[in-house]
Amino acid sequence: MRILNHFLAGGISVVIAHSCLADATIEGNVALPKSRTTTVVVKRYEIVSKGGIVSVIPPVAVVYLDGTFPRSMSPVTKEIAQKNLTFIPALLPIQVGTTVAFPNEDTVYHNIFSYSAPKRFDLGRYGPQDRPIPTQVFDKPGLVTLRCDIHEHMRAIILVLQTPYFVTSDTHGHFKLSGLPAGHYTLKAWINSNSTSERSVDVEDGSILHIDLP
Amino acid sequence: MPPRNTGGRGKLGFRTRFLAGIMLVVTLVTGAGLYFALREAAANFEDELQRDFQSKLDSEHRVEEIRYAALTEHCRSLARRPRIHAALEDGALDLLYPSASDELRDLTDPDDDPSMPGLHANFYRFLDIHGAVISPPNPDEVGRLSASDEAQLALKTLPDQQQVGYLYRGKVNGKETVDELIAVPIVSTENGEVISALVLGFASPKPDDTTTGIKSGIWLQNRVHLPSLDKDAETALSAEVTTAIASTGKPGGRFTTQIGGVRHIVFYNLVNSSSLFPPAYQVCIYPLADFLERQRHMRWQIIGAGVALILAGLLASKIISDQLSQPVEQLARDSEKNQVQREQAEARLESKHIELQRSARFSADTSHQLKTPVTVLRAGLEELRTHPNLTPETREEISALIHQTFRITSIVEDLLLLSRLEAGRLQLENRPVNITRLIASLQDDLSTQPEGLGVEANIGSAIIHVRGEERYISLILQNLLENACKYNRPGGIIRIGCHEHEGWVLLTIGNTGPPISPEAQEHIFERFHRGAANENIPGHGLGLNLARELARIHGGDLRLVESRADWTEFEVRFRIASEAKIAVPHDV
Repeated sequence: MRILNHFLAGGISVVIAHSCLADATIEGNVALPKSRTTTVVVKRYEIVSKGGIVSVIPPVAVVYLDGTFPRSMSPVTKEIAQKNLTFIPALLPIQVGTTVAFPNEDTVYHNIFSYSAPKRFDLGRYGPQDRPIPTQVFDKPGLVTLRCDIHEHMRAIILVLQTPYFVTSDTHGHFKLSGLPAGHYTLKAWINSNSTSERSVDVEDGSILHIDLP
Repeated sequence: MPPRNTGGRGKLGFRTRFLAGIMLVVTLVTGAGLYFALREAAANFEDELQRDFQSKLDSEHRVEEIRYAALTEHCRSLARRPRIHAALEDGALDLLYPSASDELRDLTDPDDDPSMPGLHANFYRFLDIHGAVISPPNPDEVGRLSASDEAQLALKTLPDQQQVGYLYRGKVNGKETVDELIAVPIVSTENGEVISALVLGFASPKPDDTTTGIKSGIWLQNRVHLPSLDKDAETALSAEVTTAIASTGKPGGRFTTQIGGVRHIVFYNLVNSSSLFPPAYQVCIYPLADFLERQRHMRWQIIGAGVALILAGLLASKIISDQLSQPVEQLARDSEKNQVQREQAEARLESKHIELQRSARFSADTSHQLKTPVTVLRAGLEELRTHPNLTPETREEISALIHQTFRITSIVEDLLLLSRLEAGRLQLENRPVNITRLIASLQDDLSTQPEGLGVEANIGSAIIHVRGEERYISLILQNLLENACKYNRPGGIIRIGCHEHEGWVLLTIGNTGPPISPEAQEHIFERFHRGAANENIPGHGLGLNLARELARIHGGDLRLVESRADWTEFEVRFRIASEAKIAVPHDV
């Protein structure tokens, strides 16, 4: 059976390799902590900090393939905007080296800063009209908590990951990672700042793996 | 009546007894007052001290409340700062102090804000979520502390209310310092959790109160820190206070002890009950020497006042007793004199009474003795007169002799009456007597007298009654009328008058004829008096005396109205008998 699998995998991956370098897919479900609200409006989450643990309401997981990967050649830019006194998005997983811009799409001034160990920065006070739009490059992996010095309740987290292969699950915990290279990795699911589930995986070219975490 | 023999001794006794009594009362009252005053003073003093101590605590408590309120405000504003949250929650404790320095700058400023007394902190530290101290990266900016001191700032858990504690820091700048610690929770505005605490150290100067003389300090971890005491005294006191706290288990108390050889009273009071910091007591000492001195002084003052009071009381009592005893003694003397006089008077009365009885008896006896021979004489003479062989001249002489015996009898009867009067044995019937009718009948009698004198009567038409006995009243009037005839002149008149005046009936009997000389007028009412010029007029001289006595026992009187050239008038008065009591008059 295994040999057959290998043949099949090999066959399929050869087929796929023609189109996209023989990418694999991992999909599954992450067990999430119970939450009162499961409805998400336009994927808007809330970052809460309780007892020193930063978590997302409603709970979601950031599932990523942990390993050493080469840096992407092309500079990736993401953004976290401020609108209606909130960060959008509140949760942003990025790869190390990504530049994040922080446009002020609100009507009032904001002062974005972070004291987190991976990246400490203070963008200063700027309004929606001010140019250039401040950016930051995150070159250390870890959890960065964003705050606004003017509006104490504004919170966002940037999860800086080594890997480019990450996805945010839905509120039920369902995820799908595609385009994965073959190799031996650890599949991790970040649920909150205190708990990350993980499982070692061996990714075969063109395989579709179904893994549930934890 | 037994004579009193206490006399002089009684007088003396009264005065001394009175004096002694007042002295005793004054002394007792003063002594009792003294005793109670002293007791009150002693009891009040310790309470006064306790109150001083308490008010000291209270005033300090007020200062502390201001401090707490200000600090709470500070920490609330701290809690609102996102940077503080970031520093505490995002793992950036090293950025905590720099982020907080702006907020807490006014707490560490050396210039004391006069509106916020006692708000200058010597140092401050933050506690992390477990209650451990977060060491500052810049100790000099936030107050340098030794490692052991810093460790004492930690708490078992983060407090949810302000906590008070004390920190003994050994010698700082050469001075032993005890700092007052205040731990204020920093509460997250997001979820209401306590995410940290700010512990501040304030200088705790507890200056010695010069007005009340109370020195204060802190007992912390079995050691008393009182700056004004020397080492040994402090150590000794520490042990005592520790023992006291351990033994009573109450949050406060007091006891007396020797400190540095001087007796002191020690108050101690728990200042941070239910605090997460170790317990600290405020300890106040007060030298009793001063208190004892004051007590002694006050005792002497009170005793002095008491002695002065007693002396004043003695003086006052002496004066009062003198004043009072004078009239009392006078009274005693007078009553003694009166007593003697009374006894004398009684003795005289007694003897007079005896004399009187004797003379009355004599008169009565004499009269009775005289009556018998007179009767015999009369009888004999009358018999003699009936003899047939008598000449008319002889018969006339015998008649004259018989007449004389009647005279004797009348004298004797008068005498008897008088003696009975004087002995008080004359019973008087008090009946209304129709004097008008009496006068009328006497008038009739007078009209038959041989001298041919005119008789006039002014008695009015009304019938008048007087009180008394008709027999005697008749006697009086007869007597007076006899005199009016006897002492008249030939062709003269007799006038009888009778009128009523204010309850008295006044009868006047006047006659013409030679007057009574003024010298004789004084004696006419005396017994056996006869007018010197009237030796020839028959009479025995008892008349006026008897008449007056009789009038007097009727409640009236007899007097000579006047006696001038050709007129002599007597007045006799009787009590009028009231209409209601008038019984049917009857003849005696």
